[in-house]
Amino acid sequence: MKQKNRLVVFGRTDPNQPINFTFNGKPYQGLLGDTLASALLANGVNVVGRSFKYARPRGIVGHGPEEPNGIIQLGSGSATVPNLKVTQVELYEGLDAKSVNGWPSVNIDVMGLVGAFGRLMPPGFYYKTFMYPKKLWMTYEHFIRKAAGLGKTPTEADPDTYEKLNQHCDVLVVGAGPAGLTAALEAGLTGARVIIADEQSEFGGSLLASTQPIDDQSSTDWIAQTVSAITAMPNVQRLSRSTVFGYYDHNFLTILEKRTDHLGINSPQGARQRLHRVRAKQVVLATGAFERPLVFAHNDIPGVMQASSVSTYVNRYGVAPGEKLVLATTNDNAYQTAIDWYNSGRVVVAVVDTRQATNGPLVSHVKDLGIEVLQGYGVIQAMGSKRVRGALVAPLNENGTKVTGPVEQLKCDLIATSGGWSAAVHLSSHTGAKPIWDDAIVSFRPGISKQQERSVGACNGTFDLAQGLLEGALAGSEAAQLAGFGDGQVKRGMPIVNTLEEQAQQALFLIPHTLPSSRAPSQFVDLQLDVSAAGIELAVTEGFESVEHVKRYTALGFGTDQGKLGNINGMAILANALGQSIAETGTTIFRPSYTPTTFGAIAGRDIGELFDPERYTAMHRWHEQQGAVFEDVGQWKRPWFFPNQQETMHQAVNRECMAVRNSIGILDASTLGKIDIQGPDAAEFITRMYTNSYLTLAPGKCRYGVMLKEDGMIFDDGVCACISDNHYLMFTTTGGAAGVLAWLELWQQTEWPELQVYFTSVTDHWATATITGPNARNVMAKVCDDIDLSADKFGFMDWRDGTVAGLAARVFRISFTGELTYEINVAANYGRYLWERLMAAGAEFDITPYGTEAMHVLRAEKGFIIVGQDTDGSMTPTDMNMDWVIGKKKTFSFVGKRSLERSDCLRDNRKRLVGLKTLVPTAVIPEGAQIVNDPHQPLPMAMQGHVTSSYFSANLDHSIALAVVKGGLNRMGEIVYCPAADGSSIAAEIVNSVFYDPKGERQHV
Amino acid sequence: MLLIYCPHCLESREEEEFSYGGEAHIARPLDPENLSDEQWGDYLFFRKNPRGIHHEMWYHATGCRRYFNVTRNTLTYEILESYLVGTEPQITEVGV
Amino acid sequence: MSESLQPQPRFESPSHYVRGRHSGNVQSVTDAGLVVTEVNNGCYLNLRGDASNAEFNAAVLSVLGISLPLMPGTFMANDTECLYWLGPNEWLLVSAQPGQKREAELRAVLNGHIAVVDVSGGFTQLNLSGPSLNFVLKKSSVYDFEAWWIQPKNDLRCVQTTFAKASALVIGQSQGTVAIIIRRSFTDYIAQWLLDCAADNGCFISP
Repeated sequence: MKQKNRLVVFGRTDPNQPINFTFNGKPYQGLLGDTLASALLANGVNVVGRSFKYARPRGIVGHGPEEPNGIIQLGSGSATVPNLKVTQVELYEGLDAKSVNGWPSVNIDVMGLVGAFGRLMPPGFYYKTFMYPKKLWMTYEHFIRKAAGLGKTPTEADPDTYEKLNQHCDVLVVGAGPAGLTAALEAGLTGARVIIADEQSEFGGSLLASTQPIDDQSSTDWIAQTVSAITAMPNVQRLSRSTVFGYYDHNFLTILEKRTDHLGINSPQGARQRLHRVRAKQVVLATGAFERPLVFAHNDIPGVMQASSVSTYVNRYGVAPGEKLVLATTNDNAYQTAIDWYNSGRVVVAVVDTRQATNGPLVSHVKDLGIEVLQGYGVIQAMGSKRVRGALVAPLNENGTKVTGPVEQLKCDLIATSGGWSAAVHLSSHTGAKPIWDDAIVSFRPGISKQQERSVGACNGTFDLAQGLLEGALAGSEAAQLAGFGDGQVKRGMPIVNTLEEQAQQALFLIPHTLPSSRAPSQFVDLQLDVSAAGIELAVTEGFESVEHVKRYTALGFGTDQGKLGNINGMAILANALGQSIAETGTTIFRPSYTPTTFGAIAGRDIGELFDPERYTAMHRWHEQQGAVFEDVGQWKRPWFFPNQQETMHQAVNRECMAVRNSIGILDASTLGKIDIQGPDAAEFITRMYTNSYLTLAPGKCRYGVMLKEDGMIFDDGVCACISDNHYLMFTTTGGAAGVLAWLELWQQTEWPELQVYFTSVTDHWATATITGPNARNVMAKVCDDIDLSADKFGFMDWRDGTVAGLAARVFRISFTGELTYEINVAANYGRYLWERLMAAGAEFDITPYGTEAMHVLRAEKGFIIVGQDTDGSMTPTDMNMDWVIGKKKTFSFVGKRSLERSDCLRDNRKRLVGLKTLVPTAVIPEGAQIVNDPHQPLPMAMQGHVTSSYFSANLDHSIALAVVKGGLNRMGEIVYCPAADGSSIAAEIVNSVFYDPKGERQHV
Repeated sequence: MLLIYCPHCLESREEEEFSYGGEAHIARPLDPENLSDEQWGDYLFFRKNPRGIHHEMWYHATGCRRYFNVTRNTLTYEILESYLVGTEPQITEVGV
Repeated sequence: MSESLQPQPRFESPSHYVRGRHSGNVQSVTDAGLVVTEVNNGCYLNLRGDASNAEFNAAVLSVLGISLPLMPGTFMANDTECLYWLGPNEWLLVSAQPGQKREAELRAVLNGHIAVVDVSGGFTQLNLSGPSLNFVLKKSSVYDFEAWWIQPKNDLRCVQTTFAKASALVIGQSQGTVAIIIRRSFTDYIAQWLLDCAADNGCFISP
């Protein structure tokens, strides 16, 4: 297959390794070493996409992350990746790419209509056009989204894996161009741990496309020599295809390493991408610079490119993207492109230089080659539609603000432009440093930050190669020294580079037209989002002054290229329109990510079953084997219910509830939080944290307590047992365990350090099997013969040490079901054994394992609250009818006590816990339902409260609910209603919150 | 992501290991019952939220389980010192 | 007749249900990038006390024969017992002896503001080794373990830090081997994490 723009000198591509690929359905061939961009240009593909607003045909402009137009989608189905830049996609066999902007095709002007429509899309278009009528927005949005075509999300789960690595280093060097390489070399020589990362496939940066000799060798030989020196150092970690995309506090940086993207759409082996989370003691930023395009009329026609990109395609990839070049420039530096183009054997029509008089060595060299140089001229407009056909040039005044003479047309198919260089201050800006404008170099420089970092080379505004190499070396040794390595002195001799002297460039951000910007053909500033010079000027006319506002109003820099090409020109045009300097206007803040970052890489392996830890009890596998359905409670997996074959959840829960009330059930209660508390002041401390007192609790006794936050609201509840003098065991809710422990530590460590008490989590140490029901004592007697189980020796709210099933155990007579209950705790490694022994011992009583759902129903029958379900952080003990748990005689003002006296806590109409009994016994009110007095009242209805728990009680054979209702205790017997979204409502009677065994006789046996 | 020096572990450690404990040096009133609602409310709800130097508590949750205090510049996120509970900060003004 | 007259109660270590599992193309410990081996220690005791109290230090030494590690991030060990620094007044004793015995012996000599808590059922120790170890540690934790090997110190190193989305006490043993002591309920998760983490070169959990 013929690659019509492929040169005979192949640069760093390999002519012996052809690679087949398709673009928008058509087959092409490129070479190993190509990017998709260089391969498309080699094949003479002009149009790679359509613009966002105006649907204008667009071609490749750049050669790196700055590319605004060549945005593509790779692959299809699950194996698809949207919004990649053609300049950053390495070619691989079978690559299949489509333009994202170009419905239905980049080459067909079905969108002509939109183009016409688009002409009416000024800045602030959305705000202006779509405010009214609101209804039409859906129509507009559909149309615009389809036209905008910002890539398609995959239709299936991503088959690839991604991983995250936590890295630590002494010196992180960002960028492996000339300055980055000398920095890494010098830092590495000190023995410091160094990481050097670069987004390209190979190290070398701009030198990969340079013809500049270094140390009497080619720049690529110098790269090879330097990289091999770095590679020899085991203390230096090299990351290529790795973009440092974020710089965060305290020298924390994130790097996206694309490990296999260059091999195919899916990884052949291992993670496709790796996210490095790097904590660096010192950072050297060597991120280079972006060439600034010139802004002129119709500068978006395919065939208008960056001068440095043209050189890169010629020198690095052996591709000449056209035949006849017009070079438009404001500086000497870009003359190299004319030389490179000339050397490739193609025609340089002219160099059009806006400066009136230039005669530096590069200019002279170009003139010596016989190339016409038009001085004091500008390219004011490109001609053509899907490809440049010519350039309109005209003489300009000295400031470059006005056309001063007749316009003529130069025939050409390629216009390379250069408006100078802008330092890539992005990462520096992430640190919070404000970039500083420097008129001398017509660029921002990095500002001063609070981080341990320095910028070197082009990103520091040092565009001279020799200076950049030196800056890098100095910074590398300095950074290493500050990190504790080396003496700060440069070890290697500086390479000798004879760069040619350059004359002053002209600061020019908009090439004038014969017409004013508002009437001239569009002069594009941001190609991806179709922001024009006229649009920015219009924004100023409409009263916008701040650069941040103008950015948002015009969408300047909002694209996937983040305005890497357009921003500086846009700010300069804004400054001009405001009649102020660029320094006064300032820049918008660059924020992470530097380039788009895959969500998968950010998630890493914390997905699927590894998304959150699953905590298992010692009996977990038994539950699994019994077919339990699990519920997440915090991070724990708890059995929700144990369905027999064919049973529905409802049937299973009913059966489990009946078994507990009628014979015996068994619950895995291992997940309850357990905190061991020891010390001479343990009782005093516990008494300060709970609402009731533990000062007189004797060994062998338990007490239920409620813990408040200092605002008086219920925070946790549970039983606390006195193990021995100065030794207690506190139970917490399953979800609250870690929070309660931190809460206890907070008060002891920061408020009452004089109290002598220590806390230790023992949640994991104990496995807990709870047997409950009228037959609990019978089963207990079969597995325990060293505890006197009689009611008067081992009563309700007692605990005993003993031997259960041959295991050392702590047995607690505490109950969440209202039945006779033994909570048996053994060391967790014997948990499953204990469970199986209890199941065997209980078999004759048909012992029934039950899950959290039955547990909830059983406790609701008893009116026992669940903190976090019946309370929501705004409930006091009084609200929950639990005044009895507040120790009235306590001398110390326990945590939360004073707040209970706040006026709001004393209000009469606070919501109070009540029971609800539905008038239709089978109707179960949805939990969370709102309660009203009259379901027919107009909206919005007057809310009376809400339902906190609601179940069907098989034992009572009707539906029950717990609710909080304003002034609820004084409303017993009233009928209230719970309206549903469909207009129906459930009527219920307000009743006492204890539905079953209100005197508590069943647990006291 | 902050890097926080733990004065108990004597090392700078990653923020993931810690949890934030709120403003430091707020002493609980010794006699809450004799405070007006307003006085109690001040203790309970009102925090400084300064632009600049802030003294705050951190809990080394996955480390030594100790609380300690940190002086942090809320503008730059610089951590200027870590110090033990019960001791006073050395840094109370920016640039001092 | 009481059913407590039964054979020896069955012990299930925290890794009981993951032993023998492997990832990648490995079938044994010899070709795995990461080898995970659970160590069944006799007991884990949490010990609290005032490190600045000479009597407390002496009492601990008298029972254990090893002195309290007072430097953060270090531990003391003899053939059968290790004492790890967890905090300025907190240590973890890992011993081959039974927990109740060790707890009683310590309680017999310790007085005042102290705590001894048997947490033997709550923890397990996994030894990690193999060529993938450093990579696995970088994936699993935010702590800089590489620095342990780069700047070796005389002290025995240990640290409590994050491990995957759980936490662990990580103990430096020798270059290329660490032990992690983790909470029992997280064992399955950590095992799953390690199998996944080291899948490229294979992970093998010793049976």
